[in-house]
Amino acid sequence: MSTHRGAAFLDQPYVDPNPLPSSVPHVDELGATSAPLKSASFFIGQHCKDVNEDFMLCKAENRDPAHCLKEGRKVTRCAAEVYVVLLHLPDLPTLPPPLPTQSPADSSLSIGKIRESCLAEFDAHWQCLEKNNQYFQACRKPERALNQCVFTKLNLSKTIPGSPEGQPQVHEKKNPIFTRVQK
Amino acid sequence: MSHGFKQDMPPAGGYESIKYKRNLPIRGPGGVVVFGAVAAVCAFGFWRVGKGNLEKRELKREQAWSRIHLVPAILAEQDRDAYRRQQAALAREREIMKDVEGWEVGKSPYNTARYTPSTIVVL
Repeated sequence: MSTHRGAAFLDQPYVDPNPLPSSVPHVDELGATSAPLKSASFFIGQHCKDVNEDFMLCKAENRDPAHCLKEGRKVTRCAAEVYVVLLHLPDLPTLPPPLPTQSPADSSLSIGKIRESCLAEFDAHWQCLEKNNQYFQACRKPERALNQCVFTKLNLSKTIPGSPEGQPQVHEKKNPIFTRVQK
Repeated sequence: MSHGFKQDMPPAGGYESIKYKRNLPIRGPGGVVVFGAVAAVCAFGFWRVGKGNLEKRELKREQAWSRIHLVPAILAEQDRDAYRRQQAALAREREIMKDVEGWEVGKSPYNTARYTPSTIVVL
């Protein structure tokens, strides 16, 4: 061991009050804790696939935080879009504008849809995750309701890449072996 | 001839025969059934363990992809914060070193184009 000190600041917090330079456009942070993010993760991943991959390719180019700020803002806006649609938080001002070029059938993510979003199912699922050590397998019932709602209203479906072909994915199993420890 | 004794004799008809033969009635299922049942229970258990292992693998995959999907959003947020702190540190350095001739603010000590994060934090 080269040092006897842990990599943590125990005596004072690592706080820097200086704001982001004004040259960087403002973007609202997601501001969500881990359980809601985990609950929405597959929908964020599906809806924001292009911007996410763009951002990760940019990061692969250069790890400098200054290099991918623009792509990062797109990522955050896109995730917030899904999030707002799921949550319809009234205090997030960066609501996505309705997409006029698309037909109503596939303009699934627009302000109009927010009213009929899946707030109740979403809340039920992430609170279940919160109470069950964030195990997906413990919350299949609220998850099924959420997936159903998101599929019908937002046209996003949860798919796990790399799942075995020709059999139901792990979240669609009728009789899973691993559920909650307590019934 | 008489001595005053009477000879002890077997009862009339003789003694009954000694019961030396084994008398254990067969109760319960036979050996084949018991061993078969044990084997069946074990087979079911191992089948279920195998199923469970496959399911556990899928649960891990689900967990991993849930995290993978969130990496860009979290990294983007971290990057903005890191950039903010970096710029603040550079501004401090500029202010402190403004009187030093030929000082390059934010010059990396490394001779590389690769991003090398600062290892020093000023609290």
